Amino acid sequence: MMKVGMLTWEFPPRVVGGIARACEGLAKELVQQKHDVHLFTLDFPGSPDYEEMDGIKVYRTSTELGHPNFLTWVLMFNHFLSKRVADVTKVVDFDVMHVHDWLAAFSGISFKHYLKKPIVLTVHSTEVGRAQGLHSPDSFSINGIEWWATYEADRVIVCSHSMKTEICDHFNLPHNKVDVIPNAIDASKYHTSADRGAVRQRYGIGWGEKLVLCVGRLVPQKGVEYFVRAIPLIARRFPEAKYIIVGEGWSRDLIEAEARASGYADRIKFTGFASDKEVIDLMTSADVLVVPSIYEPFGIVALEGMATGVPVVASRVGGLVEIIDHDRTGVFVYPRSPESIAWGIDKILSDFDHAKWITENAKEELHRSYSWEAVAMKTAEVYKKVVK
Amino acid sequence: MGDNYSLRSYNNDQPNQLRLLIMLNNIGATESSKALTIKQISEWTRMEAPELEVHLTKLIELGYAQHFRSEEIDKYHLTIDGIRKVLSRYS
Repeated sequence: MMKVGMLTWEFPPRVVGGIARACEGLAKELVQQKHDVHLFTLDFPGSPDYEEMDGIKVYRTSTELGHPNFLTWVLMFNHFLSKRVADVTKVVDFDVMHVHDWLAAFSGISFKHYLKKPIVLTVHSTEVGRAQGLHSPDSFSINGIEWWATYEADRVIVCSHSMKTEICDHFNLPHNKVDVIPNAIDASKYHTSADRGAVRQRYGIGWGEKLVLCVGRLVPQKGVEYFVRAIPLIARRFPEAKYIIVGEGWSRDLIEAEARASGYADRIKFTGFASDKEVIDLMTSADVLVVPSIYEPFGIVALEGMATGVPVVASRVGGLVEIIDHDRTGVFVYPRSPESIAWGIDKILSDFDHAKWITENAKEELHRSYSWEAVAMKTAEVYKKVVK
Repeated sequence: MGDNYSLRSYNNDQPNQLRLLIMLNNIGATESSKALTIKQISEWTRMEAPELEVHLTKLIELGYAQHFRSEEIDKYHLTIDGIRKVLSRYS
């Protein structure tokens, strides 16, 4: 059994993107495998500053000082995270600290140098990928912190081979320092007995109308605007289709403006952030799930769709390439191409039997390759490599 | 490169509402016990009170901010949706 620390800026209920869910899935399973897991994260309204969740000891840290500048704020919350870690290390002799992304890097690096203990870093995505280039001083700084964290880490974990190539090329990392461990999902969560008719009725989807679903943060890297631009093309073939876009994000206003400009605003619904249960209900009730990303280190939403049995149409980018087998477990389309997205959706909506066959293959693949049990075992192997 | 990236890249090009939202998060106005007055927000953000009031009203309308009155003073803080909107910019 190892004593594992984890540092992450998001952990449920503070859910922003995939990091919170990845940390939750991994930490839960490490506990199942008898490791002692202490997770350090930031506070969130309504959540206690300490609790045990499924055996994970969760420390939520309040940032006592603020600053309007984002990077300054990140430095400040890292200081408070470090302080909390230091308090706990008085009573817990950690074997390893697992740091998630650059946002918690400073705290992790301090831990390494003060305590002479190893750190493992998971790079969930990169600034150059998220922003599709480095266009501002903040972006350059974040990119620098990411490089520094990969340099300081004893080992680096990424979720796909495409991410390994990206970070080895971009940060000049030796390939043998990086392990690829995919994300996973708890498939049992997705076997629901959702009343499809009731869910569709709740969202105003009438009998015989197609439901096209898109789930993701509303940020440029998710490519949702290209999906919205595909809607007039889809409507030519399926005028009765309705579209639900689930997620929150800083570019929501722009995407909503795009929806209004499409001429089909009355058929497009933005739900904002939705609970896991609501997302699962919607996926179970949809006719197709679209993942139009232009940058995707992994693409956990595609796995979630596969688990609920909805056919997935996804951009052929990043980690999605490693999850989906075109025309067998999903349908690939070109990123940034409304025409291609419309083609992929048409392909699914036009052939019910083929779509059903795809979802059956996808479920099989999912059970074979993506379980948290396997992820935790592989991650523990990485920890063992660095524990002296 | 899509036009949207200008928003991701240059703070000065961001719509003022989004900038305000981000600043409220970064200065810690994330729940009622940490709510700030217009005067305090103005000092942090260097925005004038009348402009701030317009933006805050819009943020409240969109569900990203919340306000309450305490001892005859209006105080403002982000909602959970507001926090998520800000954090999405960096994750």
